[in-house]
Amino acid sequence: MQALNRFSDPVFGILRLIAGLMFACWGAKLVLGMFGGTATPLKPMLVVAGWIEIVGGLMIAIGLLTRLAAFFCSGTMAVAYFLVHAPHSFFPIINKGELAVFYCWLFLFVVFHGSGRWSVDALIRRKAKSQV
Amino acid sequence: MNSLSRFADPVFCIARLIIGLMYACHGGQKILGFPPGGHGMPPGAMGAIGAWIELAGGFMIALGLLTRLGAFFAAGEMAVAYFTVHAKGGFFPIVNHGELAVAFCWFFLFVFFYGPGRWSLDALLFKRASSGPAMA
Repeated sequence: MQALNRFSDPVFGILRLIAGLMFACWGAKLVLGMFGGTATPLKPMLVVAGWIEIVGGLMIAIGLLTRLAAFFCSGTMAVAYFLVHAPHSFFPIINKGELAVFYCWLFLFVVFHGSGRWSVDALIRRKAKSQV
Repeated sequence: MNSLSRFADPVFCIARLIIGLMYACHGGQKILGFPPGGHGMPPGAMGAIGAWIELAGGFMIALGLLTRLGAFFAAGEMAVAYFTVHAKGGFFPIVNHGELAVAFCWFFLFVFFYGPGRWSLDALLFKRASSGPAMA
């Protein structure tokens, strides 16, 4: 199945882009009041979470300092899951925490997998290598 | 950063396990009524096929059994679900409530191309067929 594996890196780039952008939307809804949010005054912790979602989501999407951004985003989602969703039920499908679980694990995988070849990180690395 | 990349494969397999099981829960709610709180079986043949893909495909992805095959069907089903159910509700997934469908769809498409990884039934069963980390 090596023929499929050849395309795993581009698909990973698209997955990172789409998941990062959707993740940033949550921050924009929370902090900026876009997408039907209200942007009422928030607790400091929610403001921090919202900005991590916006900035981190965009950094993951374009692949800039990907591992660092993914680490913060994954942590944010873990906190969100256990604070908001977990008390309601054991099953994510019932406590409505599925997306939080999904983002948490996907971004943890991004921390360990790295940005891949289709990313700003890879561009910077390539440039640095050619200058040395 | 190679010290982190060493653990990419185990983390991938845990992510596959958890996301696969969450996905199977959607089929379980429709077919088995478990976990509780679902709406039951959707009407029509397409709904039934979708529910079985969710249940069986979710477990195949979770266990890593014929992973690419399961992931291919699961990703396709989520694409259909997104465009038939959610896309009408608005352009942004966060608005049309199709975010989970998009997330599953792209993650499973990635699994289809990436393969099951070393921590999977595929890797156990087909060890002799190929020695590479990505098989079946």
